[in-house]
Amino acid sequence: MSAASEGQAAGQPTWRWTRSTLTFVILVALLLVSLAVSVCVGRYAVPVDRAIAIIWQSLHDPTAMPEAIDERIVWLVRVPRVILAVVCGAGLAISGAALQGVFRNPLVSPQVLGISQGAAFGGALAISAGIWGFPLLALVFVFGLSALALVGAIARIDGRTQIVTVILSGMVVGALFSAFVSLLQYFADPNSSLPAIVYWLLGSFATATWERVLIATPGIVVGLIVLWSLRFRLNVLSLDEAEAKSLGARPDLERWLIFAMVALVVGAQVAVSGIVGWIGLVIPHACRLIVGHDHRKLLPASALLGAAYLVTIDTLARTLTAAEIPLGVLTAIVGAPVFALLIRQHYREKGAG
Amino acid sequence: MIGLNQARVRFGTRTIFENLSFSVPRGECMAILGPNGRGKTTALRSMLGFQRLDGGERQAPAIVGYVPQTASSQASYTVIDVVVMGRAASLGLFGQPGPEDFGDARAALERVGASRFAAERFDHLSGGERQLVLLARALATGSDVLVLDEPGAALDLANQQRLLGLLDGLRQARDKAIVFTTHDPNHALAIADTALLMLPDAHALKGPVHEVVTPEHLERLYGVPMRFVALSGSDGVAQRAVLPAFAGARAA
Amino acid sequence: MNRAHVRRIAGAASILLALMPIGAHAQSISLTDQEGREIALEKPAERIVTIPMPMASGVIAIDGSADKLVGMNPLSLTALEEGILGRIFPNALSITDAVTGTDFVPNVEALAAADPDLVIQWGGRGPEIVDPILNAGLNAMLIVYGNEDNARTYMRNVATAIGKPERYEAHEAWREEVRQEIAEVTESLGEEERPNVLYMGRSLSDITANGAANSYQNWSIALAGGRNAAAELEGNQSINREQIAQWNPDVILLNSFEPELDVSWVYDDPILSLTKAAQDKRVYKMPLGGYRWDPPSQESPLTWMWLAELLHPDLFDFDLRAEMRDAYRTLYNYELTDADIDGIIWTSFQGDGFGYDQFAAK
Repeated sequence: MSAASEGQAAGQPTWRWTRSTLTFVILVALLLVSLAVSVCVGRYAVPVDRAIAIIWQSLHDPTAMPEAIDERIVWLVRVPRVILAVVCGAGLAISGAALQGVFRNPLVSPQVLGISQGAAFGGALAISAGIWGFPLLALVFVFGLSALALVGAIARIDGRTQIVTVILSGMVVGALFSAFVSLLQYFADPNSSLPAIVYWLLGSFATATWERVLIATPGIVVGLIVLWSLRFRLNVLSLDEAEAKSLGARPDLERWLIFAMVALVVGAQVAVSGIVGWIGLVIPHACRLIVGHDHRKLLPASALLGAAYLVTIDTLARTLTAAEIPLGVLTAIVGAPVFALLIRQHYREKGAG
Repeated sequence: MIGLNQARVRFGTRTIFENLSFSVPRGECMAILGPNGRGKTTALRSMLGFQRLDGGERQAPAIVGYVPQTASSQASYTVIDVVVMGRAASLGLFGQPGPEDFGDARAALERVGASRFAAERFDHLSGGERQLVLLARALATGSDVLVLDEPGAALDLANQQRLLGLLDGLRQARDKAIVFTTHDPNHALAIADTALLMLPDAHALKGPVHEVVTPEHLERLYGVPMRFVALSGSDGVAQRAVLPAFAGARAA
Repeated sequence: MNRAHVRRIAGAASILLALMPIGAHAQSISLTDQEGREIALEKPAERIVTIPMPMASGVIAIDGSADKLVGMNPLSLTALEEGILGRIFPNALSITDAVTGTDFVPNVEALAAADPDLVIQWGGRGPEIVDPILNAGLNAMLIVYGNEDNARTYMRNVATAIGKPERYEAHEAWREEVRQEIAEVTESLGEEERPNVLYMGRSLSDITANGAANSYQNWSIALAGGRNAAAELEGNQSINREQIAQWNPDVILLNSFEPELDVSWVYDDPILSLTKAAQDKRVYKMPLGGYRWDPPSQESPLTWMWLAELLHPDLFDFDLRAEMRDAYRTLYNYELTDADIDGIIWTSFQGDGFGYDQFAAK
């Protein structure tokens, strides 16, 4: 701190810039390493140099259908899977960070607000009705957004939305949609749609294909870009409503823009990989410890770390055993203890401050 | 610049005020005086558009430099990040602050004498320091109107003195309309040009400070006998102060 | 005289036994089910509700008619509708399926309305699905599933309960004979002579396979002279295409539970189509006859013969069509046509698979 206090009136002394630059360099490197490892390992043994050669060759001529089995494994199975993990991880983490900012509550995540459950219901409904592809995505998205709208409607009392009522409404709506999902499971055909629903609720990228990349990526990327563009506005929106208004924001309207983007991201993610919990909760917390609370740094850091984290988790899910380990299980097993540590760290620091 | 016209606010069946009209032009500093629960803050919120009016209208520029009594946010932004938020209105929804905005923010911090906190975390500052930072943020908006909610209410005497001195400096520049609420008439006597007294029965009285901040009015306002005393300030200039008689009567 | 001949005679004998009038009509029956519970019936059961999926067709086969079935699992009804049994016993399609949800929790009101004198329910899955039956004052027979021994025991129990134990004895003789005949050939096979067989489920989108533990498919594959490619899995688990490529199975078996699943799914998949199984055209969907051929049922010996012929066409010489006709005559008193058989073994989409020519109609 001494350097900061000695620095002239400048609010951003140079050492802070270099430190923050270094942090982002490390985060990008982390993501690149996780990507490289992920495309090179798997249950089917492909030597690293061969894997790289295959990707190089496919990048040169993406339209050519690879013929050899190792080419297909790398280009048709691993690469789309890794891409989905990257965009979903980035999307979930940035959504969590944005929601936590808007609600001024570090415990908020797409799941706490019922978005995931709503999206899950949309998906389960689609599977039960035998709907796949874009219509499934649409149902997932519509129900994710309706869950959020419902939360907003319940929580808005006398034109004001309080954090506590939002969280409570989120729990109520989430429970409601969970019950609907259970109902669908109850009536689902145990030979076909039931295992599909169950498996899908646990989350997995096992069914990743280039087609699914095309389904999910546009929505998530739009969400990512819009949320990232709102990074400074999120600082303002994280203030008390009156303060935010006095600074020229229209909190109600702008919150809904953010909610819609979160629903878009989560809907697209849930549609292709089922429910993946914890990312939106753990990653923003970890990033706050690394880069601070300023959303201008928090959002990009969360996106990078979220992507690296989900790629790593997914790599473990598909390589640890012959069977696919559901993602939801791994993210919870890793996420819960990490989150506990982060909470302790956070409040110890707060107590000291 | 800023004010209310025939404004009426009701909470349920209770009328907080009605037919409340006032206007504060550029270069004037107005204090809104009244005991707790008399609608000072409601009047201020109405003026800023945070409170829906049941009648009448408000008059205010699009952006008002607003200094809340306490900062609501628990988020641990650095001071410079808090101040630069004052630029948000001119940056729009997707805008990002650039070097110029940070320059404005630093200038505002300089103006309130808080430059040395720039890189510190806002939530690590003391209450007095936080108010200075919030004042800097209000200045950074570039608005010609400054609205403060109970400035100094939660501060010790030294910090009150410092904040009032700062506000007086801003008043002397005569380039802004300044409105603040307070329950301490001495704050009004110290830095206000005019005062708005939120009297009982939803009536209000506005006028120059020396005309309206009188013992009779204050007795009506607070329901406590008031006495004026003359003091000499640190610079030796004679000042007036007002004391409630529950302590002052015997001491005098 | 070859073995097939012997079996056919045995089959004919069992029909004769089945047709013989049963002497003491009012005789009481007592038996012990697979949970060790004593069951006492005043007379042979005449109104039976089956809650486990495979038991509806099991009761039909053991009785030789659908007359004793008065309620079943919705999924048993689905299997009847999809398979041939619904055509053989059209009256079975109107039997109620309201007696249970697909989660095996009995609907007591519907159960009482069906007025059964015996309710067959899963054992080993806790009292929650059994107590409602007992509380309604009904007789419950619990069955345990999963391997050949269990299958034989519950079929014998059902036969005893309906007063036709001799019909089951003939069935078991056939089962055992076919099993022995195949085992004699395959037991001596070395590991390298056994093709790698992957039994796969798709569940609409994700892929599942069965490990070695507690899997009837694992047992059937081993009996027919194959090796379970997914033996390292614990039970039925999700797997990915990359793992399948790594196993590179010689033969892929698709489960018969999913109506929309056929072998083209494998041949059209960019990864699965490169496995040895797909390259050699050795991808087969499990047949759906009186019941699905994957789990243990009255038609299991047919499954073993079908699979043995596909895995080792040079070592076996079963006449599957003749065997199926005999079995259906015995089990259901039904004369299979060539078209029926083609429908059961999915000749339409896997008739050009490796080794399927031996099943072609003459």
